[in-house]
Amino acid sequence: MAATMKLSTLGYAASMLSTGLLDEQFQKLLLLQNKSDPNFVAETITLFCEDGEHTIGELTKRLDKQCVNFDEVAAFVHKLEGGSASVGAKRVKNTCIQFLEFCKEKSRDGCLKTLDTLRVVFYEVSGKFKDMLQLEQQQAEATK
Amino acid sequence: MTSYVEGSPVKALIVEDSAVETMILSAMLRKFHCEITKAKNGKEAVQMFLEGKKFDIIFCDKEMPVMSGPEAIEKIRALGEIHVKIVGVSVGDNAEEEFMRVGADEFLPKPMELDVVGAIIQEIIKKKKNNDTV
Repeated sequence: MAATMKLSTLGYAASMLSTGLLDEQFQKLLLLQNKSDPNFVAETITLFCEDGEHTIGELTKRLDKQCVNFDEVAAFVHKLEGGSASVGAKRVKNTCIQFLEFCKEKSRDGCLKTLDTLRVVFYEVSGKFKDMLQLEQQQAEATK
Repeated sequence: MTSYVEGSPVKALIVEDSAVETMILSAMLRKFHCEITKAKNGKEAVQMFLEGKKFDIIFCDKEMPVMSGPEAIEKIRALGEIHVKIVGVSVGDNAEEEFMRVGADEFLPKPMELDVVGAIIQEIIKKKKNNDTV
């Protein structure tokens, strides 16, 4: 397990795993962090949160139009699907899979409903990631 | 394929539009001391080969803006780059067939596993050593 992450932070991550917010892929991500790459997890999940927020913004814009380009929408969703799968954000990934089905069916209503769900699950996991990183930082400050 | 020099790193090209996934794959490849180059889409990857750059392995995503992975692979092989190992990667369905049809050597579903990536890199190191002793 990542020796450079505090036990309390790992505990926070464990609770996200037990509630199904994350899957075992997140644990594999932790294993990539080491002394020569001590900020890897923080940087990766920060990037995931930033990219995800940008993607949701783009999806909102594109689905706001009466004439939707479903290929463009699918491209954004696919990118978020890949990113969420790679960081272990299970519910975000699964929502993206549903979203892609509605893109294939060219259903604007279906896409809009799924976008609402995506917003909820994404902000849930990104909020918890930010809390986890804040806890890590506070603990780092406290041990200086 | 690049020549083998004892201790020289495997030259890897990551073709991926997702910064998150590039970061994760880069971290994996660093564990195997690879020299990493990045391209954000298929067109950038093809351009590198047109400029004469050489790689031992390419990890190539499927869906990308400007030029897709399969289109880039087709063009790279058409340039005569038959020795570089090309690994297609994707999170979606039906990707493997499309990658193999255009000349990829292998397909890995996302998310990639560290030990699988490691085994591929070790295979390349072994092949490079053998090529140079022939």
